[in-house]
Amino acid sequence: MVFCQLGGGCELPLISIPPDLTFIVLAAVTIIGSIMALQAKELIYGAVALAVSFIGIAGFFVFLDAPYLAMLQIAIYVGAIVVLILFTIMLVRREATDELTDRPERGEGAVGVWLAGLIAVAISGVAALAGPNLPAEPQPASLPISDLGPTLALQYPIPLIILALLMSAALLGAMALAKLEK
Amino acid sequence: MVGFPPTPAEILALIIAIVTSHQFITIVVFPGFIHLLLVVAFLTWYERKVLARIQLRIGPLYAGPGGILQPLADGVKLIFKEIMIPYKADRPLFLGVPLMLALLAALPFAVIPFGQNWVIANLDVGIVFVFAAASLFPSMILLFAWASNSKYPFLGGLRSLFQQVGYEIPMWISTLSVVMLAGSLNLVDIVNAQSRIWFIIPAFLSFIVFFIAAMAELERLPFDLPTAEPELVAGWVTESSGAIFMLIFMGLYMKLYLMSALVTVLFLGGWWGPAFLPQPVWFIIKTLIVATFIIIPRGVYPRIRVDMLIKLGWTRLLIIALANVFLTILLLSSGVLSAWGWL
Repeated sequence: MVFCQLGGGCELPLISIPPDLTFIVLAAVTIIGSIMALQAKELIYGAVALAVSFIGIAGFFVFLDAPYLAMLQIAIYVGAIVVLILFTIMLVRREATDELTDRPERGEGAVGVWLAGLIAVAISGVAALAGPNLPAEPQPASLPISDLGPTLALQYPIPLIILALLMSAALLGAMALAKLEK
Repeated sequence: MVGFPPTPAEILALIIAIVTSHQFITIVVFPGFIHLLLVVAFLTWYERKVLARIQLRIGPLYAGPGGILQPLADGVKLIFKEIMIPYKADRPLFLGVPLMLALLAALPFAVIPFGQNWVIANLDVGIVFVFAAASLFPSMILLFAWASNSKYPFLGGLRSLFQQVGYEIPMWISTLSVVMLAGSLNLVDIVNAQSRIWFIIPAFLSFIVFFIAAMAELERLPFDLPTAEPELVAGWVTESSGAIFMLIFMGLYMKLYLMSALVTVLFLGGWWGPAFLPQPVWFIIKTLIVATFIIIPRGVYPRIRVDMLIKLGWTRLLIIALANVFLTILLLSSGVLSAWGWL
């Protein structure tokens, strides 16, 4: 179904993927990617697994009818941030990274499992409470992308300006740091 | 519709219905796999012939008329060659990344319109989809270079990363003026908006910036620093052999075709042309002409220096592209284009 919405005009009768299955596959990709990103013995594989988990999140955006956001997620997170991480890992000597990848203590792992279980219980409790109030069929907010700019600039001008200032501050800071190195 | 168990006639009817459906044809035959593979094979032969003519040689000659079957012979040879994996190379990445490279280069063709109806997926965010797929290239190249566990590929991979990430930015910004002129990110809409005038005229500076950035993205001469033969053997492809080599070069030639097709879609009016030829034919003719202009410098120019490359990308192209965005805003807000009947 998702693919048909993306492409527009699905004539083939055979291809119809139930939304639940799409959700489960995407969730599995994202979660397994995140776990492998944390657990990978080789840091490079960790970065690759992180990229896989980002792609899973981009899949969720497509699933939720936000293809533009999905594309930017892939271009920026996978195309730029993961590349930055890979680059950093490769510049560090291998012996130095080996020391960093030691396993957590057993107690730490148990605390993590308990916390994750608590959070899962809390989220499912909230979902169970709020469940009946949710609309049965999520309405696709089929806004054309050309409305994105006016919406951002006219409805939310102040957050936009603050974000722009933050970005320029980061850019100037990076340049200042680079000058300091010399 | 189909009973259980289905009779052979029903299965046959179903198969015929699938094979003759528009989706199947667009995915498998025309803008899809078969067409792409044929074009990639043609481009390898075509590049060798063009370079040979520039250097007063003959080029491939013996396999088929004019050597046109040479790509087939090369493909068969490469498939049967041994894949040599360097000592202590990272096997999963070394074998998996070339496959991903070829796949990623083929993926954007899902949204490239070869004609009014000859497009696999008419995505509203088509151009962003193409750039998102193309932005995964540098990481794949870096991973392959690292997985080779060898000095020259790694240096080439780092150079490729700097070059491709740096030239992506002028490329995106130069596309912005085309998107503003067409008022859409959909590639079909962008081509439809050029029915009166090709965007190369109102956005000429963008075209120049996009073309140069595309050459740098493709690592074509004069920007072939990541695969510079005298310095780095063959750069990041040094350790590849056999089928791995073939997959990488299929990916690279598909990317060459992709960039030429993008130039055609964004600036040269896509499928528009006199009606005596069908739309896809016009599109392919224009694309191959653009590809020729990307190939020719390989026989003509020397390689530029690293510092010149960085300077060109970050201080010249970026500024020209930004200036052109403001120029386009002026053009659009002054209403000149619509007054002349161009939009």
